[in-house]
Amino acid sequence: MTAQSNLDERVLDEALAWQAALERDDADWDGYMAWLEADPRHRQAFDSIALTTAMVEEHKDAVGSLFDVQGEQAIPRPHRRMKWALGVGIVAVLALAIGLPLRQQEPAPSVYAADAGKSRAVALANGANILLSPASRIVVHGKDAARIELASGEAFFAVRHDPSRMLTIEAGPYRIIDIGTRFSVNLSGGTFRVGVSEGAVAVASDKAEGEVRLQAGQQLTGGANGDLTLAPVAVADVGSWRAGRLSYSDAPLALVVADISRYSGKRVIIDPSLETRHFSGTLVIGDGSRLLPDLATVMGVAVHSQAGGAVRLGGADR
Amino acid sequence: MNADQEEEVETLYGLHRGELRRLLNARLGDPVEAEDLLQELWLRARQRPVGPVGNGRAYLFRMAQNLVVDRLRERQRRMARERRWSDQETDFAQAGMEPTDRSGTAEDQIIAREEVAALASAIANLPEGARRAFELHKIRGLSHAEVAAQLGISKSGVEKHMAVAMKYLRRALLG
Repeated sequence: MTAQSNLDERVLDEALAWQAALERDDADWDGYMAWLEADPRHRQAFDSIALTTAMVEEHKDAVGSLFDVQGEQAIPRPHRRMKWALGVGIVAVLALAIGLPLRQQEPAPSVYAADAGKSRAVALANGANILLSPASRIVVHGKDAARIELASGEAFFAVRHDPSRMLTIEAGPYRIIDIGTRFSVNLSGGTFRVGVSEGAVAVASDKAEGEVRLQAGQQLTGGANGDLTLAPVAVADVGSWRAGRLSYSDAPLALVVADISRYSGKRVIIDPSLETRHFSGTLVIGDGSRLLPDLATVMGVAVHSQAGGAVRLGGADR
Repeated sequence: MNADQEEEVETLYGLHRGELRRLLNARLGDPVEAEDLLQELWLRARQRPVGPVGNGRAYLFRMAQNLVVDRLRERQRRMARERRWSDQETDFAQAGMEPTDRSGTAEDQIIAREEVAALASAIANLPEGARRAFELHKIRGLSHAEVAAQLGISKSGVEKHMAVAMKYLRRALLG
């Protein structure tokens, strides 16, 4: 009954065509049955399309309200870049009016920060589109934004690959170079993660020789001790926070907990007994308040309130 | 349902019983399961007020199709529940900890939330044109013609976007 991913395109197109045809009052049910009987793969294809349709139908209201809430979180649209261009225009006019030397020196770095509870789209003049996850910050340096520093949190980048352009993204001791095209970078809790959903990137580190190349469907994780781990990741999980969920594949618990702190606005401490643990799984962000209890449930550990409003994950009550 | 309507349903069902069995066989690939669903179809058809049905045959065929999808969905949920259980038992269960809430509704809510998240994520990752068309049509409920007008593309353009979206979502959701 389950769908096979290798069902070929033609059979799927036929299934889609039959699905549409059967909506009609004068649908050819005999033709449909003959098609089903001709090859068992036809049944599988139709099942998988029907199942997908049923899931969409069942959840469309929930997905619709999720998109409503996200609003600004949606992938950057072209009109935002126009706004940015307009912003540059105004800055330039002001600069001329008060006689600032515009060309003589490298422009001062610009800081872009997303507030807690809200992500923020940033479209840079060099064509890089960036979505900052809540409570995250980047600093853009240099002419043409050649150097982007992820100061804290997570950001999703959509950057056309252009070998003639120098663009480096820095995150702590790590540098992402030779960039294209869609990837998510996380720097929190002393850990680093980059996942690529499209194209490829290369990563260098102050702590190690050489570069690591990542293709779409790969992630590189750097632990607090500087160990680097290259591993496969589902493309749909890269930057999945944009769609309201946090996905981890063998992530250091420090990274998971730092994310949860950003989304919940609560300081979370990891009990020393869990410090070396890793986590794989998906958490639904919602308003952020369920993330920690959900993580604790999945890991089978407890959550304790601490003095000063912090919470501790794991360990005994004390 | 009054006696006339009941008789009408019986006649209709009697007339198309053979074809309905053929359809269910073709959909399920299993004669025993097909017979089982045929029974269920008969029971439901009798309970449901038919109302004015222009095409009784198509009505029964659609009902059969819906029963099959309901069954597929149920099977899918059952597999998701089993997967959750085995995950918790093999990877995460720790001695002396409270067992996770396994009551049906709490579990189903978690599974539903995961499905919503997976769906939202898959939609967000669609190619831009397909994503907009899909969101307007399937999520916001606009017709193909309205979507075409809003996006300034042809109706067949909308259909192409929808086919791309459905195939992508199918792969993302079902593997």
